[in-house]
Amino acid sequence: MSETSEQPVNLTINSKSITAPGSLSVIQALWHVGYPRVKSVGCLEGVCGSCRIMVRRADSHELKMELGCQLLVEEGMEVIFLVFPNPTHHTYQLEEIKNSWEVQDKFHQIFPEADHCRHCGGCDKSCPKGIEVERGVELASKGRFSEAGELFIECVMCSFCMTACPELIAPNHVGLFSRRVTAYFHIRPSNLINRLEMLRKGDLQIKQ
Amino acid sequence: MTNGIPYSEALGNYTPQRFREPSNDPTKTRDLLEQFHPDYMPDSMTTLKVGPNQGDICHKQLADVLQSDARIEEADLAGANTVETDILVVGGGGAGCAAALTAARKGAKVILATKLRLGDSNTVMAEGGIQSSVEKGDTPQMHYDDTVKGGHHYVDKPLAAQMVMDGPDVIRWLIQQGMQFDVDKYGDLLTRRAGGTSAPRVVYYRDYTGLEMMRVLREALTNAGIEVWDYNPTVELLSNDQGHCAGAVVSSLKNCSYTLVKAKAVILATGGIGRMHLNGFPTSNHFGATGDGLVMAYRMGAKLRDLDSFQYHPSGLAYPQHLAGTLITEGVRSAGAYLLNGHGDRFVDELGPRDHVAAAILRECEEGRGVQANETTSGVWLDTPGVELRNPGILKSRFPKLLQLGRKCGADPTQEPLLIYPTLHYQNGGVVIDGNGCSTVRGLYCIGEVCGGIHGKNRLMGNSLLDIISFGRKAGEHAATEVHGRPHSNVSTEHLSELRRQLTLADMPMENQGPMLFPDYAKFETDSDYDGLHKAK
Repeated sequence: MSETSEQPVNLTINSKSITAPGSLSVIQALWHVGYPRVKSVGCLEGVCGSCRIMVRRADSHELKMELGCQLLVEEGMEVIFLVFPNPTHHTYQLEEIKNSWEVQDKFHQIFPEADHCRHCGGCDKSCPKGIEVERGVELASKGRFSEAGELFIECVMCSFCMTACPELIAPNHVGLFSRRVTAYFHIRPSNLINRLEMLRKGDLQIKQ
Repeated sequence: MTNGIPYSEALGNYTPQRFREPSNDPTKTRDLLEQFHPDYMPDSMTTLKVGPNQGDICHKQLADVLQSDARIEEADLAGANTVETDILVVGGGGAGCAAALTAARKGAKVILATKLRLGDSNTVMAEGGIQSSVEKGDTPQMHYDDTVKGGHHYVDKPLAAQMVMDGPDVIRWLIQQGMQFDVDKYGDLLTRRAGGTSAPRVVYYRDYTGLEMMRVLREALTNAGIEVWDYNPTVELLSNDQGHCAGAVVSSLKNCSYTLVKAKAVILATGGIGRMHLNGFPTSNHFGATGDGLVMAYRMGAKLRDLDSFQYHPSGLAYPQHLAGTLITEGVRSAGAYLLNGHGDRFVDELGPRDHVAAAILRECEEGRGVQANETTSGVWLDTPGVELRNPGILKSRFPKLLQLGRKCGADPTQEPLLIYPTLHYQNGGVVIDGNGCSTVRGLYCIGEVCGGIHGKNRLMGNSLLDIISFGRKAGEHAATEVHGRPHSNVSTEHLSELRRQLTLADMPMENQGPMLFPDYAKFETDSDYDGLHKAK
């Protein structure tokens, strides 16, 4: 395990100057210096997607999207917390899709913009989990939902890609749709179904 | 604790091995717990002086908030908006979502208010999986027996029986919401063992079971016409003339005002207490786990149970500091990972009950056989390279989240063991409920970690994801049926006057106010952004 630095580093968070040990995350650094932070803090394990931040490092002009509970503070870093975007305008219920032959058609009704991808790469660049978002949207557009869904395994629905997309595709919701229809139509475990049958017939009881 | 074996020395002595002798430690669970488990630490417990559990043993830090004064005064509510709904669900984790979805589909008008964002919860972090007896060699009876035994026989037996019988249907329901599970080449659900289970019974999706569950439930809920109020912590319940629960006072972090929500039923799904950092322990819990629901339910007169029993998960990351307390799933041990002390010896049956294993780790550290990372941090090895050696590729295919955690530590878990130490994980006790999630107060339902009884004094891995969905659905359905056609009643905070009277009579200090809402390091009470929502005094 590499030695994490206990040396203090200087950075700005929401334009406040802060000095904190290099072993702390952005959120811990705020707590460390006593700045309040209630919103944009959630699971603190990088899976809830709440602590969205925009970061510029000292040695680069590039802006990176990160999660504030996961990123360690560095010398000269500039950090801005971002508010969560408005919910997507796409709505659907799985029950509206009558059978699996209709999924692709329904998908294009629900996500009409998915076909308009400009391949600008904004979604890929903004994803803090390194997901191949653009490819996922393309696969879903072609009806390859199971394959598309696999790409979004680590998606925490932080919605950075939604903010980045100029065509308002809502790629994260495309990914989740792909995963959900795969389960809804194709996961039929025989061991589970058999157990449900036994329970239905009353074959299994509990002696307390 | 600075008497352990130095980190670099212990790491230098470590090499992955195919096999190591199992521990032959004969110490009985009871003796080990009494000597080393934090629940048994002298001076950590007290007796409750007021309320429905007067005279019962309770952890001191929890007693302080249960017997605290309310955050609000009558005057705070004078200008408050009033909103009406059939059902108010408080909490945006898995339990709250399951209840809200079920109730709304039954035709009830539902508002879900949550302190943080929908899905910011412990559910989203659950890794190991969900217990459901689906394998040939397994039965609901075995699931039941394991649950009762794991809970040291303090389990509410009818609740446990109902839950295990519901297990397979919970999995079916989740698949119908669009949740994926790992399956074999024939499409059958894969299962793994958990500590304290007599058969492989935990179904899962990689080590992202909770994330997969939560993103699916959130998507289903936001598409189901349910009103979601995020950043809206509930600070108090409302009572009617008969003392039944008839709504709640919800505060908004967006416009810093209170809303009175009149509801024919309130479903509390507020989760646990990890961020109270009992006994100074780190926690695996999310930022909002401050026991708010327990406090509000207790003031309304709901009976609680097992307030002296908490789960310290054996494998919290001990080091580096910025990740201390982060959970490593028990699934890694069920895949065969050893626990090793600083000498490289196994010292406990790795798949014993969580409290036993946690106490054994604390013993190794206290008795100088731990690994010392720095002055304040010690722990034991989780031998991940050993598992990889025995099953090449297993970490990558089954535990992607663990490998990602390794990257954040600057270590490769396939090559280097991780240092772990118990982390405050779960509140075993909580509000007493029946099979529909009804508390002892009419109109008040409680589901998920805020409840007690289902897991007795020690919960098994995978039983919590089961309980939140099973009882969430039950409560949602029952509440929707109950409220149908019923009128709203007059609401008041009369029960708070009674609380203050009792606190005064018992000569209790009134400086403390609850619920906590946020851990103190978030500085909520002094943050000028939230002027108007701070404690009354």
